[in-house]
Amino acid sequence: MRVNSADPTLLLSLLLLAVFCYLILAPVVLLLADAITVHFADVARSKQPLGEFTVYYLRRALFSPISRDLFWCPLANTAIISAAAIIIAFLVGAPIGWLLSRTDLIGKKWFSTALLVPYMLPSWTFALAWLTLFKNRTTGGLPSWMETFGFTPPDWFAYGALPIALILALHYAPFVILLFGNALKQFDTQLEDAARSLGARPTVVAGKIILPLMLPALVSAATLIFAKCLGDFGVAYVLGVPVGFDVLATSLFRAISTSQAGASAVLAGVIVVIGTISVIIDMRLLKEAKRFVTIGSKGAMVRQTPLGKWQVPTVVWAFAMFAVSAGIPLIALALTTVMRVPGSFNLDNFTLDYWIGTDLGTTALRQGILLTGEFWLALWNTVWMVGLAATGAGVLGLLVGYSVVRSPVRFVSVGLRQITFLPYLVPGIAFAAAYLSMFAVARPPLPALYGTPFILVLAILADQMPFASRAGISSMMQLGRDPEEAGQIVGAGWFRRMRSIVLPIQRGALVSAILLPFISGIKGLSLVVVLAVPGTDLLTTYAIRLVDYGYSQAANAVVLMLCVVAFTGTMVVQKIGKSNLSDGIGAK
Amino acid sequence: MSSITLENIGKSYGRGIPAAIGNLSMEIGKSEFLCLLGPSGCGKTTTLRMIAGLEHPTDGRILIDGKPIVSVPEGIFTVPEKRNMGLVFQNYALWPHMTIRQNVEFGLKLRKIATAECDATVDRVMTKLGIAKYANRYPAQLSGGQQQRVALARMLALNPSIILLDEPLSNLDAKLRLEMRAELKRIHAEAGSTIVFVTHDQWEAMTLATTIAVMSEGELQQVGTPDDIYERPANRFVAEFVGSLPINIIEMNAEQSSPLLGWLNTLLAHFGLSGAPVASAGIRPEAVRLGSLADDQAAQCAAGRAAIVDVVPTGGSWIVELDVDGSRFFAIATENPHRAAGEIIHFWVERQHLHLFDQEKKRVAL
Repeated sequence: MRVNSADPTLLLSLLLLAVFCYLILAPVVLLLADAITVHFADVARSKQPLGEFTVYYLRRALFSPISRDLFWCPLANTAIISAAAIIIAFLVGAPIGWLLSRTDLIGKKWFSTALLVPYMLPSWTFALAWLTLFKNRTTGGLPSWMETFGFTPPDWFAYGALPIALILALHYAPFVILLFGNALKQFDTQLEDAARSLGARPTVVAGKIILPLMLPALVSAATLIFAKCLGDFGVAYVLGVPVGFDVLATSLFRAISTSQAGASAVLAGVIVVIGTISVIIDMRLLKEAKRFVTIGSKGAMVRQTPLGKWQVPTVVWAFAMFAVSAGIPLIALALTTVMRVPGSFNLDNFTLDYWIGTDLGTTALRQGILLTGEFWLALWNTVWMVGLAATGAGVLGLLVGYSVVRSPVRFVSVGLRQITFLPYLVPGIAFAAAYLSMFAVARPPLPALYGTPFILVLAILADQMPFASRAGISSMMQLGRDPEEAGQIVGAGWFRRMRSIVLPIQRGALVSAILLPFISGIKGLSLVVVLAVPGTDLLTTYAIRLVDYGYSQAANAVVLMLCVVAFTGTMVVQKIGKSNLSDGIGAK
Repeated sequence: MSSITLENIGKSYGRGIPAAIGNLSMEIGKSEFLCLLGPSGCGKTTTLRMIAGLEHPTDGRILIDGKPIVSVPEGIFTVPEKRNMGLVFQNYALWPHMTIRQNVEFGLKLRKIATAECDATVDRVMTKLGIAKYANRYPAQLSGGQQQRVALARMLALNPSIILLDEPLSNLDAKLRLEMRAELKRIHAEAGSTIVFVTHDQWEAMTLATTIAVMSEGELQQVGTPDDIYERPANRFVAEFVGSLPINIIEMNAEQSSPLLGWLNTLLAHFGLSGAPVASAGIRPEAVRLGSLADDQAAQCAAGRAAIVDVVPTGGSWIVELDVDGSRFFAIATENPHRAAGEIIHFWVERQHLHLFDQEKKRVAL
């Protein structure tokens, strides 16, 4: 194919390809390589020279005396938690999805935002709330509300698999609500009517018509929840680790923080492989689903089922769901920050010390959180680092979109599309491990980045690329070639067309391609927890540090501030752009 | 006022894929109003876009006033922004983020034309096209016809010597089409620009163009005036493509003889054409004469006999479906025939309305 030398599109594409090979492909490849090459610390133990191919780490992680604690138990725990979370999320989410899309439920509009609140906030917020409400003397520290009330929650209820699964389920139930609800919305009721007119009983209609057509959406929601649970670090860290309950993500975190590079590479590799498989299954099923939709979409009619006498109980139930999944945890968190003893409602127990107090009788953090420099530093870090990363991701995403759609060379556009999608297959904590492999030492042209803010900015940026590039590609596809060609015809060169036509038209798309990654980035913990150091703390990592020190009220206060930022951000995005949360769910 | 020459233009999208355009040569004279006509997928839009520079030919040369702007053998390619042509897109491609005025003046601003002169030109063009009152609106606030005028204004503001139009009337309703047609004719007459446009709609082609180039499957079938194309189609494709009701085709080399074929042979003998190398014949429905004749009259004009199957009024004319002992044949009557189904009627054709084609489906000159 002839390439026009005056058109820098190909040059831009190649440049982007190089950048993303460096920022995404190289770290992942290095990580996988780390799992099978000898590291400096293990030269003696593996009895092999540095850098040589070895199965030492694989054997150590999978078939050695410690592999039970390092790998197999966490793997089993992850499987159990994910399975339980998926089941609970469906039991809660599917009825809500149906109520919101196919009935005349009162306050539907309010519920369709309120019931999605858990997903707008970081998942481990609810783990902190759980501890605040239900923890017992096993982990010590301040008493929980239940203890103050005079009950002692048993260990199996306070920590471990049950609360983790429950919290993950409530956090990811919005996936089911949105995916299942949307599928129901697109489902043509005429298809049901056709079956009924042929004499099918309601049970037969449900089993033979509705379920098969809903199956792709359901399995898709399940695989998505699974992939998310796999990489979710915060919940298990707060509720599992203190009692020795590990999942793959926390085991990987421990391996990293104890400098076992080989073992952590193996663990991260396993997470990547499982994540990849689940996403591939999901994409297969989504293709199936699209095939179904085209059959049923012509003149679709959706009928609303009147709830009748069930209206009141249903509204009460839906509100109870909101209370359990968002209302009570958030209120408990908020109240705790103004109580000396959690759960005690005596007037003299209330205080604003944890927010604005001074000379508190503690070893560290002797003043309220709003008077603490580290808090403001973390807030500032969050804003500028995540802001910079999100802006970079948004702009690069649009450029990737432009290159993918316009590149005259096919393999460049295919390569760009796939490499920018890669982080989607790599759960956050594994991607962080990959970034450690890559940037702990100098990698020309960049110096060693660990300990600097730039490793965080780059990691967040790369991690948000799947969403950003897909948004860019789809908006460039929608734009088509015509406006730019019209510019060419009247004599505008490439740069002029970019400046006066392409970018101004895509301004709206750019705003949401920056804001959505920003919101997703500020609440993310898995990715940044191994990359941040005290000087480069973000709000999320700062809160986790406070949890580690046992300053519950302060941690809760930080988390609340984070919730406010994340929630407001989400609302702003929904108000400004056409984009909404269901668009964001496709991304991380 | 420029001439365009296409020399052996070819366009293929890769090895193994049949060429979209194969070896196309054409001369478009100064101030000509040429239409590229053909069914969708025949390569007409690709040809237009290659002239504009939005597609790269894979073979051949394009010359403007004898100077090559594209030459594959010599490695010459002038980018579209340097060609100074006007192009109106099928869907207008107005920039949605700019007002009508900003759309129209964009090209002038690029050329750093002095503000006063620029404003004068923009005002003149917008007034002429009747869109001056929408100057501060955005494209989405205008109707399809108004948007098209804006697209035309944006193109005309630069006063290009070559104007390219992609299906200029296809998105408009019947009334707007007539207005727009007059508008384009006027622009052509006033500015004397060379205009090339593309359409699959023969009405559009016939009413606008001074020259029509009929294309099919990437190849040129015939170039001629609208009357040439209609009255003297160069081959079966052109004969069958042009015409509002499809032309009646009678295959001469059919295995068994039929009364319709018998009638055609009589007709050829009557016109002294028995020896012509004819493989098929075409008769336009509107050329078929109908009536009840006495036997000697029928013999005089070699008329055939047919039963009426149906008479369909179309408003001002009537489609008469005929049955000649099992063969269907269509005629158009300009006066109500007042006949019912089942009645017998005579039909005949005059010599100049008979189109004959040989084995290669090429026209046989009479």
